[in-house]
Amino acid sequence: MTEAVIMVSNLTKFYGDFKALDNVSFQVDKGWVYGYLGPNGAGKTTTIRTLLGLLKPSQGEVQIAGIDPTKNPVQALQAVGYAPELPTLQTFFTGEQLLDFLGKMFGLAGQARKERIKQLLDLVGLEEWGNKKIGKYSKGMVQRLSVALALVNDPLVLIMDEPTIGMDPEATAHFRNLFATLSKEGKTVFISSHLLDEVQRICTHVGMINKGRMVFNGPTAQVLETFTQQWVVEAELKKVTETMISALRKLDYVEDVEVEGNKMKIQLKEKKDYRGEISSEIFKRKGVLLGLNLHKITLEDAYLRALKGGQ
Amino acid sequence: MNALQRVVNIVVYEWRRALAKKKFFVLVILALALQVGLFALFHYFFTNPGPWFDAIGPYLEEIKAMMWLVGVLGPQSLFVPIIAIVIAGGSMSEEYERGTADILLSKPITKIEYMAGKFLGGFSLLGFVIALTTTLGAALAYGLFGPQESIQFVPVIYLVLVYANLLFFSLTFMFSEVLRRTTLSMLAAIGILVASMFIGGILSTMYFMSGGEQLYLEISKWLPNWSVSNLPSFVTSELIAAPENPFISVIGGDIQLAAIIIAAYTIPSIFIAALKLVRSDVMKRTE
Repeated sequence: MTEAVIMVSNLTKFYGDFKALDNVSFQVDKGWVYGYLGPNGAGKTTTIRTLLGLLKPSQGEVQIAGIDPTKNPVQALQAVGYAPELPTLQTFFTGEQLLDFLGKMFGLAGQARKERIKQLLDLVGLEEWGNKKIGKYSKGMVQRLSVALALVNDPLVLIMDEPTIGMDPEATAHFRNLFATLSKEGKTVFISSHLLDEVQRICTHVGMINKGRMVFNGPTAQVLETFTQQWVVEAELKKVTETMISALRKLDYVEDVEVEGNKMKIQLKEKKDYRGEISSEIFKRKGVLLGLNLHKITLEDAYLRALKGGQ
Repeated sequence: MNALQRVVNIVVYEWRRALAKKKFFVLVILALALQVGLFALFHYFFTNPGPWFDAIGPYLEEIKAMMWLVGVLGPQSLFVPIIAIVIAGGSMSEEYERGTADILLSKPITKIEYMAGKFLGGFSLLGFVIALTTTLGAALAYGLFGPQESIQFVPVIYLVLVYANLLFFSLTFMFSEVLRRTTLSMLAAIGILVASMFIGGILSTMYFMSGGEQLYLEISKWLPNWSVSNLPSFVTSELIAAPENPFISVIGGDIQLAAIIIAAYTIPSIFIAALKLVRSDVMKRTE
């Protein structure tokens, strides 16, 4: 039986006359890593801010662990960690002081709080910087501290708005692993991101939003399947001949062949790996094969198709 | 964690936020320096009296014994309301401008608890500043002019000063939440303070020129500055009750009305700020 940790039902949000969210509904269950995708201005941050009780829904409702955060923030947000997009933190605090202050807001007791702060600074690689003013931190360090702040209460639900933006590739990989680990520990992770590769690697489920409307919501594997129309084999040859092209076009499983210089894009009729058959056909025609790749759909392809479909 | 603990947590936060500001320190140091300067000046005149001093000559010893009043009530005329405006002006708005309101309000705390912490934090800091100016004033008076009479009333007058400063503090706090712009809210509050002083001056002039037309005086009493600057003097006059003293005889007035006017400005200001906070969205960084 599934346990909905985040529930968004028919959520509509107006900013004046502008409809930022239009009847958005989705659910995130316990243990999911949910990737929330959409172009700039699609409504991702508006959804997140509504989930945190910072914005009031114009229509519909949101719930975290069954509680409406706009009505009862104390209960709803007790087990939530939040890292905002490009966070601006209180520069008059040191990293340790801010963690301590937020730890107090979650009611962490003195000794437990101290230990947690040390553990978190180690986790995000800021152990040397904990006693320095946040005003002296680089953007990447602020971003890392922001993740530590989101984890201070050992949350059951982690809401992250573009969490790895501004981080170097090493830190990005570190945090990607961290989110995956947290999910394995049973935590629910909600990530808004435009880094599709990142989302594809770690998210179990994906929601796609465009112009305030959900255009897809489901398991990551399903999104790839849903928006895959065909697979393509890309072949690079020493020389492409007309006889080779017409022979390939006559094959049952080939939809079409496109030629660009010494490269061929062979579109397949079904989602199956025909590289073996295609290479034998090329060899039969005395072709010299330099490279052969099967191009399956990526999340980026699916995302672009979903957005196109949603418009 | 209960509601009180959450409020106290924000109170402490607010102190740290305000104390991290240079302009706050500059203003407090300026107020204290002016106090010292003023006393040095008085001390010079009192020890080297010129011919123009003849008028108060007979009362010199009495005045010297009451110089603590200058130290305690003096900063109230302008500096303390300005410090109140500086503390309250950024209290709410700075969090929106910098985007730090997101960090605070996405935590398990209600908006009302958050606002209560902010208000009490800023106001208690103002209370501390008033304690500093009051203590320094009394100490300077004692140090430069010898033993002071009726100095035992300083704690009561301190409390009255704190109460009087609720008006500009809460007015600016309301602007800070409603406008969500620090500069704008400070300018609005300073504008009201200056306009209030200016209009009050005009009304007083008209009162004298009209040969005592009470209406001018009655209107001027409802200006915010009247009660803020006069209530501490009225209470002092009442406490000390020395009509023969030239210092005391001129500062008597309607304590009850001044207290009511302060409450009449303060309560709606707090209510409006709370209403705005509860009913509005917390928007992204506005700076």
